[in-house]
Amino acid sequence: MENAGNPSAPLYGVGAEFATAADLTRAAREIRGAGYESFDVFSPFPIHGMDKIVGARRSPLGRIVFIGGLTGFLTAVAVQYLPSAVIYPLIVHGKPTGFFAIPAYFPILFETTVLFSAFTAFVGLLMMIGLPRFNHPLFNWERFKGVSGEGFFAVIESRDPRFSTEEAGRFLESLGGSNVTVIHED
Amino acid sequence: MSLRPDQKFDYRHVGYGFLAACALALLAFFGLGIGAVLDVRQFAFSYLFAFVFFFTISLGALFWVIVHHAVDAEWSVVMRRQLENIACLFSALAVLFIPLVFVAPVLWAWMDPANAGNAVLQEKAAYLNRPFFWGRSLVYFAVFIGSAYLLRAYSVAQDASGLARCTVYNRRVAFASIVPMALCVTFAAVDWLMSLDWHWFSTMWGVYLFAGAALSSLCVLVLVVTALRSVGYFKNLITEEHYHILGKLLLAFTIFWAYIGFSQYMLIWYANIPEETSYFILRNTGSWNVLSILLVAGHFVVPFLLLLPSFGKRRPGFLCGVAWWILAMHLLDVYLMVLPELHRAGFRPSLMDLLAVLAIGSTLVAVYLKALGDSAIYPIRDPRLQQSIDLQN
Repeated sequence: MENAGNPSAPLYGVGAEFATAADLTRAAREIRGAGYESFDVFSPFPIHGMDKIVGARRSPLGRIVFIGGLTGFLTAVAVQYLPSAVIYPLIVHGKPTGFFAIPAYFPILFETTVLFSAFTAFVGLLMMIGLPRFNHPLFNWERFKGVSGEGFFAVIESRDPRFSTEEAGRFLESLGGSNVTVIHED
Repeated sequence: MSLRPDQKFDYRHVGYGFLAACALALLAFFGLGIGAVLDVRQFAFSYLFAFVFFFTISLGALFWVIVHHAVDAEWSVVMRRQLENIACLFSALAVLFIPLVFVAPVLWAWMDPANAGNAVLQEKAAYLNRPFFWGRSLVYFAVFIGSAYLLRAYSVAQDASGLARCTVYNRRVAFASIVPMALCVTFAAVDWLMSLDWHWFSTMWGVYLFAGAALSSLCVLVLVVTALRSVGYFKNLITEEHYHILGKLLLAFTIFWAYIGFSQYMLIWYANIPEETSYFILRNTGSWNVLSILLVAGHFVVPFLLLLPSFGKRRPGFLCGVAWWILAMHLLDVYLMVLPELHRAGFRPSLMDLLAVLAIGSTLVAVYLKALGDSAIYPIRDPRLQQSIDLQN
């Protein structure tokens, strides 16, 4: 097995390269079947059904964004209702039956909801995926740098309770993986 | 070519349903006939209301078939035949349009010679005159029927031959249909609905009708597919993945409808020009306002909140409930387009509203059941069929 990264730094995991998307799909199913939990697969394009095969859980981001959107909506209600109906109740922009003229407020309600949702989604996603960061241990592996153009990779991570370098390396090789590499952090 | 039992609709599943639909249609038309003699104005408006409701459903189905071919869609192949069947109801709708020809001056007041001296009408006479109006209506039906039949004919021909060429032909038909269809929808909405009050105009009107059409035809598709699944068809073909996509599209078009509806309302409300506000003043006062508020809550807020989380979108039963609800709200939407022009003082339900919906609805159900058994229930030799069945999302 080859080595990547700084051999004296902590271990990140063991990776292997596969020839096709079908091979990667089969390998992912086998790795999961062998009981590994902390592993990931990488491909230049999304592979349909891969989420289920690797057992990815539903992202909590949707719920977080909902809360962000609701905050935006309620903020817009407050900043429009309080000035025009409570603090300065003036008869402008078509308020025949009350100072809370809903049609005029709708665009702001909508835009603020979208704005807050977008910010929550952006910031929430960055926090969940651990960005920004300078380097990821995977990029210590020279071959992995082609992942966005060509190449299908599977990596078993060292934080998996079943992980052992030798066994994971042999297992990936037995699945048809080539260039099996031990990846260290920097 | 013979079809397997799971590919061909068996009429024993509907039992006497076909005859019952025919009988109900006859009875309802008989009732409507008596109603027309007693109160021709109520008949005209009730009939237009029911006609437009079912017209939008066929229109939406045709839109989905065209979009399917135009963007080379994969996921919808297995359901496309049902959309084609719904779109082909246009020929029946063209026949069902005929009663409106006889009551036209009662319905569209600008045709009434008594209004001929009106200054506004004289300005609009270049567009609003009888020969042009009927000529346009003919063109609309020609475009819709021609497009729907061609798309279905190539698709059915492919069942027998399996030629990929049919898919290519259908793509060409779809491309050629996009612009004529968009124009026909817009002008049909202007002619049949907006001209009920010939003072009023709104440039959003055609899109508004289209938004309701695309949404309600999806609801009908959900219900048809689920009904066919419940008697054993589409086994291992249509899965919860397909329902998930339908659910997402229902949510998207619920939002689209609200967006278009509000854009129309907002601009008119904001500009506050009398000739534009007349439409909303009529519908936002008195008892009509109660229904308008119900429409906003029922057509947007309720389905939006129900469809927002993902748990319901993968459950056929849940999605069917939502589909029935949206269809009911679309019925209310069309009701609020047509009937306030007749009962300007306030909401006054009539038995003829119900009879007209039953008459046209059961006629179309009978025609649909006839078409259902005429060909395979899904495009069995479409090149993309397998990808559609293997759908993941």
